[in-house]
Amino acid sequence: MAFTSDLTIDEVLLIEEVGFEPVELVLSSSYFHIGWQSASWTTNTELEAVSALMLRARQTAIHRLVSQASAAGADGIVGMRLDIERDGHSAEFTAMGTAVRRRAGDGKAWRDGHGRPFTSDLSGVDFWALVRGGFRPVALAHGVCVYHVAHRSLAGWLSGTGQNMEMPAFTQGLYEARELAMDRMQTEARAAGSTAGIVAVDAREGSHGWDSHVIEFVAVGTGVAPIVDPGHEVHGEPGLVLGMRDDDDERQDLDDA
Amino acid sequence: MAEWQRPQVQRQTLPQHASERIQRMRGPQGQRFFTSDLSVKEFLLVREAGFECAGFVMGSSIYHVGYQRGDYSQNQELGVLTQALYQARELAMARMEEEAHELGADGVIGVRLRVNRHAWGESLLEFVALGTAIYARDGRSWRAPSGMPFTSDLSGQDFWMLLKSGHRPVSLVMGNCVYHVAHQTLGGWFSSVGKNQEMGNFTQALYDARELAMERMQYEAQIDGAAGVVGTEIYETTHGGWDSHVIEFFAVGTSVLPFPVTSPPPSPTLVMTVNE
Repeated sequence: MAFTSDLTIDEVLLIEEVGFEPVELVLSSSYFHIGWQSASWTTNTELEAVSALMLRARQTAIHRLVSQASAAGADGIVGMRLDIERDGHSAEFTAMGTAVRRRAGDGKAWRDGHGRPFTSDLSGVDFWALVRGGFRPVALAHGVCVYHVAHRSLAGWLSGTGQNMEMPAFTQGLYEARELAMDRMQTEARAAGSTAGIVAVDAREGSHGWDSHVIEFVAVGTGVAPIVDPGHEVHGEPGLVLGMRDDDDERQDLDDA
Repeated sequence: MAEWQRPQVQRQTLPQHASERIQRMRGPQGQRFFTSDLSVKEFLLVREAGFECAGFVMGSSIYHVGYQRGDYSQNQELGVLTQALYQARELAMARMEEEAHELGADGVIGVRLRVNRHAWGESLLEFVALGTAIYARDGRSWRAPSGMPFTSDLSGQDFWMLLKSGHRPVSLVMGNCVYHVAHQTLGGWFSSVGKNQEMGNFTQALYDARELAMERMQYEAQIDGAAGVVGTEIYETTHGGWDSHVIEFFAVGTSVLPFPVTSPPPSPTLVMTVNE
């Protein structure tokens, strides 16, 4: 049967190597109106209604993607991407990925805790490495916290000018917001049946055309569980190789967020 | 070095949500649940090296960075700003270390230090330290001589190789220097316009500032009792709203200590990749 996929050739080969085959490219979207929750001008607080909405918009797009994959007889989705395109007060959440099926027919063991196809933003190469390392992806988990940062009073502003000091109220507020986003991601991953943990976490922050005092913290990562099948083949000890290529040094810039 | 007062940072107490998250990662009866921002390859290599991920840890500090006037025609360090930026980073690092400590981890790898500026806070800088806390499977302690978890900005791949070579990370060491570069005098400008020549004054200023940042970083490594520093990087930045003649030089690296290994490091195999 013909398949469609946006995977590269080596990704397809590696997925087949661990006993999967691509089924089809799946795509879904959800269109949400992002409302507003008023917050007191002078408080550091979470905007809980907006947090819940931003999470639900993402989950809706992912849920539709999973339903499509399930209808196509797939056991999981790899290389998943979630894009947000904003248009005034509305935003379109688009999810896309390649649905894959277990060839041996033991696909049930690879599905998540609710019997749905697994989801993961890992590339084909990372998927192969993870499976050969003895783990299976379970679910791409999200945690969201939308936070309102207080405006500083004029008196507070005047007393602070010219001084070098920590601002404990701001530090605490943003710190808590990040922790909440990560904690929610953990809870979601566990609920989906990721028993080991979450890999490749990306903790981001952004604003979606809101007042500059409102920040969205998002944590995303792939929840994983150990593969229990005793016949599962794992990779050997890694060796040290010297590639015949001039690789660019991929060091991360510390100051560029 | 005598004039360098290294700002001291106390042990930190964590915000409530951080403690709660860490308790959930530790789990009841040792049923750990990790989170990690390591890539899959890094995650597997860390396990291969005999470690397990304990959790994604972070620390932050929002700092009001004020103003220090530099003499218009002088090359000089702005000591107050240097100390402020150092202190802010140390606070973020100390909170991250505290999270790792609470997780019962041996160390933190892949540490990144970010500086954020937010539109709502003029002259506020947010320093964020992020990394993945890990612990040894065999229960041996790999903590730094201070008793706190080690810290390192090495990737999972570099960490694996460092251990194979018989070295272990001790701490992320850093040094900085905020420097004011003198403005040229009008006479100086006239005498050099149209000529190709070295601007000794500017060369000297930037040279000094870099050396100071490096020296402070080395000093930290010596205090930690380390044998050396690997992966040093130097960054030059001007933070929001600064005069264009004010630059921060920031040196950061991982201090290491040798430890006895049973097998020699593997010799590299030559491979020719088919990737373009």
